[in-house]
Amino acid sequence: MYQLIEFISKKRAFIVFVLLEILSLWFFYSVNNYPNAIFFNTTNAYVARIIGLSNSIKAYRSLDETNAELAAENRELNEKLARLQSEKLPLLSINYKADSAVAARFKPVVAKVINLTTTQFNNYITIDKGSADGLAPGMGVISSTGVVGKIKSCSPHFSRIISILHAEYTVSAKIKRNNEIGSIKWDGVNSEIVEMTDVSRYKSVQKKDTIVTSDYNYVFPPNITIGYVTYLGVKPDQTFHHIKLKLATNFNTLSYVYVINNKLEKEQRALEESVSTEKENPAKK
Amino acid sequence: MTPNNLIPQILAFIFYLVLQIFFVRQLVLFDYAFCFAYVGSILLLPFDTSRTRLIILGFLVGLIVDIFYNTIGANAAAMTLIAYLRPSVITLLMPQRGYDERDTLSLKSMGFPWFISYCGILIFVHHLVLFFLEASSLNLLGFVLLKVVASTIFTTLVLLIIQLFRKE
Repeated sequence: MYQLIEFISKKRAFIVFVLLEILSLWFFYSVNNYPNAIFFNTTNAYVARIIGLSNSIKAYRSLDETNAELAAENRELNEKLARLQSEKLPLLSINYKADSAVAARFKPVVAKVINLTTTQFNNYITIDKGSADGLAPGMGVISSTGVVGKIKSCSPHFSRIISILHAEYTVSAKIKRNNEIGSIKWDGVNSEIVEMTDVSRYKSVQKKDTIVTSDYNYVFPPNITIGYVTYLGVKPDQTFHHIKLKLATNFNTLSYVYVINNKLEKEQRALEESVSTEKENPAKK
Repeated sequence: MTPNNLIPQILAFIFYLVLQIFFVRQLVLFDYAFCFAYVGSILLLPFDTSRTRLIILGFLVGLIVDIFYNTIGANAAAMTLIAYLRPSVITLLMPQRGYDERDTLSLKSMGFPWFISYCGILIFVHHLVLFFLEASSLNLLGFVLLKVVASTIFTTLVLLIIQLFRKE
């Protein structure tokens, strides 16, 4: 017993060190992940007040910007709400049949690729058609083999496309076999491989599954091929599949693309926005 | 620790925490260099501070900073580690004549080469732990290492500047 006490007092510093290190790492890996943890972070009222004090000058200066951001976020949230509500309707009706105009809402325009990169961290593609041919920013771009990207900007005769090989571009996708939804993002390393995220590990995914665009986007028609699963694992957080796919489109040899013009996009958006403005100002009615 | 140097030490802690939370928290140079000047609160305690005390103080200071950075545990882990390593680094950097009774842990007393290697080593370890905990993967190894090195230089510089303005 005496020896034990002697040992502890001799190694006191080391024992305290190990204990506190374990405590910190436990904090880091567990407490951090509680969504409702409110004491040990800036959602704590006192902490927030101190931070508020140090930020107040800056906040006054950027008030306009913040206001605009909030308004934009508001609009976006309303838009999402309206879209979700409109998507639910078809599921409820039993004898659902798409209106012919809705079914034929996507009109492709053919264009030639005149410049592209695949090796940078953010890749763009330039094509030889622009606003004079009816193209506009936001339209989806596909090739005969699969998804390519989305128009970023248009001049009268040229357009610049954000390729799917862009660090900040995600595409809503689903697994063709069982309609599980996820999103596609490039990790910036290999120009033939992209990652699919947000697929719960409890959903069924197999190697060689075909991944296609989902029904939940304005830009692409549903069921356009994106790629095929080549690697399947589990993310470190243990909740999602870690899926890598080989792109169906070979970007290095890409020469012609189709720009998808969603003819009903404006109608859809206008309708949804009117729904959201009604929601914002119910008193005006 | 004697009572007559307790108050200056508490003031120093408050100084470093206020500096960190109010002034250098949003300071980022070239998107790479971050400043964690509060590390100085542990690095610059007197030579005779016991290892246990260093570790406990380091943990607490790290925890307070963590709360403001929303990274609970990361700074605490890094600070606990460098507080534990501090006596070993001091021994490692011992001059040939040994440490003098009159030596104090400051730029003026220890000289520029000693001070910068002492701060540099411990700050580098601190940032290494901190950034890799936050990156939580080795995917962006080069990117994170660059951040660590840039931030080490930045933090060391800030501590040097504070030392230059210090009264003896």
